[in-house]
Amino acid sequence: MISISALKPFKAVKYLFIKPKTIRYPFELKEPSMRYRGFHLNEWDKCTGCGNCADICPNQAIQMIKIPELESKSGCKNERPQVDYGRCCFCGLCIDICPPGSLKLTRDYFHIHFDPKTFVFIPKDQETEPEKYVSSEKYSVLKASLSHRKRDYDGFVSDLKYALFEPKRVTMPIIAPEKRKLSFIEQVIGYNKEEARKEASRCLECKLCEEACPAHLKISDYIQAIYEDKPEESLKKIYEDNPIPSICGRVCMAYCEDACSLSIRGEALSIRWLKRYAADTIQDFATALELNPGTATGKRVAVIGAGPGGLSVAYFLRLKGHNVQVYDALPGGGGTMRTGPPVYRLPLESIDKDVHYIRSLGVEFIFNTRIGKDVMFEDLLKGNDAVFIATGNTKSRSTKVNNYEKCELALEFLSDNKIGKPRKVGKEIIVIGGGNVALDVAREALRLQNIQHPGENAAVKTVSLEDWDEMPATREEIREGREEKIQFNPAWGPKEVILDNNGNVKGLLCKKVKSVFNGEGRFAPSFYEEKEMFLEGDMIIEAIGQVPDFSFIPDHLLEELEFTERKKVKVDEMGMTSIQKVFAGGDIVNVNLDAVTAIADAKVASEGIDRFLS
Amino acid sequence: MRELELYFGPQHLGMVGNFSITLNVEGDRIVKATANPGFLHRGFEKLMEQRTWIQNFPLVCRINVVEPDHMELIYAMAVEKLAGIEVPERAQFIRSIYLELARVGSHLFGLWAYANMLGFDTVANWAMYHRDLVLDLFEEITGGRVYHIYIWPGGVRRDFPKGFKDKIINTLHTIGSCVPDYDDTFFNNRIFYKRSKDIGKITHEEAKRMGAVGQVLRATGMKQDIRKIEPYAAYDQVDWEIPVRTGGDAYSRIWVVRDEMIESVRMILKLLDKMPEGEVYNKIPNPFKWNIPDNEAYVRCESSRGELGLYLVSNGENKPYRAHFRTPSYNHGLTILEKALENESIADVGNIMISLYITAPEIDR
Amino acid sequence: MNHTGTSLKENLLSYFDDILVEISDEHRLTISCKKDSVITILSSLNRNGYNHLALISCVDWIKDNELELVYIISAYTEDSEKGKMNILVKTKIAREKPELLTVMSIYENAEPYERELHELYGINFKGHPRLIPLLLEREYEIPPFRKDFDTRKYVQDVFDKIPFVEDKKGRK
Repeated sequence: MISISALKPFKAVKYLFIKPKTIRYPFELKEPSMRYRGFHLNEWDKCTGCGNCADICPNQAIQMIKIPELESKSGCKNERPQVDYGRCCFCGLCIDICPPGSLKLTRDYFHIHFDPKTFVFIPKDQETEPEKYVSSEKYSVLKASLSHRKRDYDGFVSDLKYALFEPKRVTMPIIAPEKRKLSFIEQVIGYNKEEARKEASRCLECKLCEEACPAHLKISDYIQAIYEDKPEESLKKIYEDNPIPSICGRVCMAYCEDACSLSIRGEALSIRWLKRYAADTIQDFATALELNPGTATGKRVAVIGAGPGGLSVAYFLRLKGHNVQVYDALPGGGGTMRTGPPVYRLPLESIDKDVHYIRSLGVEFIFNTRIGKDVMFEDLLKGNDAVFIATGNTKSRSTKVNNYEKCELALEFLSDNKIGKPRKVGKEIIVIGGGNVALDVAREALRLQNIQHPGENAAVKTVSLEDWDEMPATREEIREGREEKIQFNPAWGPKEVILDNNGNVKGLLCKKVKSVFNGEGRFAPSFYEEKEMFLEGDMIIEAIGQVPDFSFIPDHLLEELEFTERKKVKVDEMGMTSIQKVFAGGDIVNVNLDAVTAIADAKVASEGIDRFLS
Repeated sequence: MRELELYFGPQHLGMVGNFSITLNVEGDRIVKATANPGFLHRGFEKLMEQRTWIQNFPLVCRINVVEPDHMELIYAMAVEKLAGIEVPERAQFIRSIYLELARVGSHLFGLWAYANMLGFDTVANWAMYHRDLVLDLFEEITGGRVYHIYIWPGGVRRDFPKGFKDKIINTLHTIGSCVPDYDDTFFNNRIFYKRSKDIGKITHEEAKRMGAVGQVLRATGMKQDIRKIEPYAAYDQVDWEIPVRTGGDAYSRIWVVRDEMIESVRMILKLLDKMPEGEVYNKIPNPFKWNIPDNEAYVRCESSRGELGLYLVSNGENKPYRAHFRTPSYNHGLTILEKALENESIADVGNIMISLYITAPEIDR
Repeated sequence: MNHTGTSLKENLLSYFDDILVEISDEHRLTISCKKDSVITILSSLNRNGYNHLALISCVDWIKDNELELVYIISAYTEDSEKGKMNILVKTKIAREKPELLTVMSIYENAEPYERELHELYGINFKGHPRLIPLLLEREYEIPPFRKDFDTRKYVQDVFDKIPFVEDKKGRK
């Protein structure tokens, strides 16, 4: 092998006659590879401004910059990343963490400029800045810079399989549809410790959820506490803004999850179930929370309605040291939560757990007492320093079609089943409505059918004006309803209730919906009168909405009460109505009609009342 | 004769890298040599204590410019050990192939430096060109030419692109077909032989006593290679040989480097044949909520210069508590170099230094 | 656990009484000992064929007010079982005026490691022939790799004092 030679090296002379390998730049260019990590590009519309790229950047090359032209909305901040190429090392961590996958690295890598400030720039895409991206024919390497780049020149891009976040949820154990529809057993079993911690570990701490939440809970903090296995800490964080975690942990509308940055390309973090985990893990709230009512102020506040709004106002005011009395016509706390959401979604024990804790802080609850009947509104007004009305929507609306009086009403139906005597149901039930209440009614009716007519042919059908994609009920509810084999008839409106000879319900005649909303987006349904459909049924339940009941307020005061154009009670920024020292919140004030917005109202009103009293 | 003190480097034509040696010379004989590192000390290990586990990845590869890949691997291996992360089998093969490519690239770079040092500019330029072909492959897999940031805990960052196997084989054939030219013009060249034979000689006993690893040790006749002793990645899946020489001088060391390159190429081809299909990445925890429990790990691998080790300590936080790299050049450059330079001539300082395969960034960290 | 590790453990425990030997991983042996017995343990290991000092490291456990020295030893051998072994010899010393005997008499290549630890952690290795600066360019009040060395403050103190360079127009 070793043959030392002095002549052989001259063999290299042959390379004199071989074409050089050197690339004759700039006449000849070397095409970067498909995964090249060059300059950034940010798809402006997809970016949510979550700031994860800035958080992970090891060199702090990325900064989030407020863009005033952009509108900040739920799930999308008006911030966009700014990259400093004096610091960037093109490692691509920002690409792998980007939840929407909007941030990309392109194959461009030339930037020559006399002004060092141009090396700090806000990446945009070719749709937003078409003038900076040119086609490869027009591209000239002599002009190449951050404002002269090639179109469609993606390099290193995000890939969900290799992303640094986990797009999949920890599966929540749920009782199977075939089993759960036979009884009123709570369908969601809840996370255990390992599952909860694993789910909590998915949180990227971008806090888009906190902005989306009406009550602005410190979601990121309480999730972090669950991840660290400190449920007490977590509950303390929750109680700073929300005193009914057991309720909200089950039936919250979870606007936070819609805003969650993980939901864009994967599944949102189970924020609601994690809150439920925190509330359910801790048996004794009082020892865990260590909260005490504030120093007594001697002021008295009456709260009408022990629903989410009333409970929250009572809690916040009690912490400020006021004496609070809560009146409710029902035998227990919870308001609509007590009567509305079926037991399989929200058991009474969970409501009582939250109410008990608020009571233990010294809030006085006066149940089974209807204002306007047992206690007069004017007496309350005289005997207290402030009054908070959170009576909610308690009356069901009716379709008023022919023979409507033969139909059942949703709220009464739900309430009887939950805290009264369960109703006798028919074998073919028609539910009118496409909202969450309608689905509650339908699914409850299904369970009652299975209990009362086991093994027999029975069906629950729903009729809704809205089509699948417009239906106001949550996707989750619709999915679960379909799993339980509820028959949906979307885009049909009720025309007439058909009776048989004995005057019993025989079915519902429906007409096809043309459109639900008018050009301005207002609710104004129009129909094809001639397209009809007949649904057979021996029981019809109307669940098309609820209205408030102000009959407890004497007429002369009701005249003083101002309403908005959407028929909501008008309140100022302190939560006060047009009547002096009367405050209001919850469904009678806001248009969201849910618990967490009621809490948000209550937070505003409790601050207002506190300021008003001091 | 009068003894003079001569500063050799960091700015000296015969010096590769930011390294300095203080020489005490009598005429052109070196009486005593004192290594003087620190020109590249960037405090990486301290910096690592302030960055999260994942943020350290773009950092560790920069410790050694010439071959960042083994730095990535050693850190990934340590983190995997601390956090108990499994690596899929295909990823192990990819790692091995990738690391062997890195070894070829790094050796070609070493060959460039050495040939350049001896004045073989033709060979040096060939080596640089061939290294460029290897870098093209890296660009294809990882998107970066020099700093790849490719090996992650749990596997690798992306799978091989489609048709990549053929590209690797093509490139390796291109490089392999030039081996006879390399041999004739360089390795069997009389000038090279004369310049390197018996230069910077260390015996087997000295090598062991002074902590030699890698080529320096293998050039003294010892078959020691971490890839064989403690196989990581997929090195136990294929057969390969450890090239050994017995001279202990610069000539033997460079020949070991050449043989290793050829062995690496053979190994890559074997690995490519046996590479299974499947996943290449097990998801690591969310980087913002990734605390690694109290633990410590010492892991080692065979970088292209020898045993590379990492002692990594975690105290349950989201960043390392202490990281300490055991780099092969450390003892080569600070202990062996001083010994090997004694009684040599000034003209051979660069020659010996590069034949010991010393890279300054590894020493200083 | 492999045979080499257990037999080595038994062997060590029969010679030394105040040490703690732990087999943490398949081929990782951790020996915790007092600082005075480091030399004897290392020379015993060296005699047993563990003749390669891979690393001397130091961890600053500031909460316990201790510095922990870690000697990582393996073997130059073609015996595969023995070759796999990595032995971590650990000892804790006080953070104030830390002193230790050099191990250069056993492992010659300890020289730069000890110099480095002297510089970065302020440990005084007695018997070391040249404890002169290795990597750093100046002396520090607190050795810079200790946990109480505030890098940010250092940067502000040193580099923020450097005046800006003005260009021809007098701009900074």
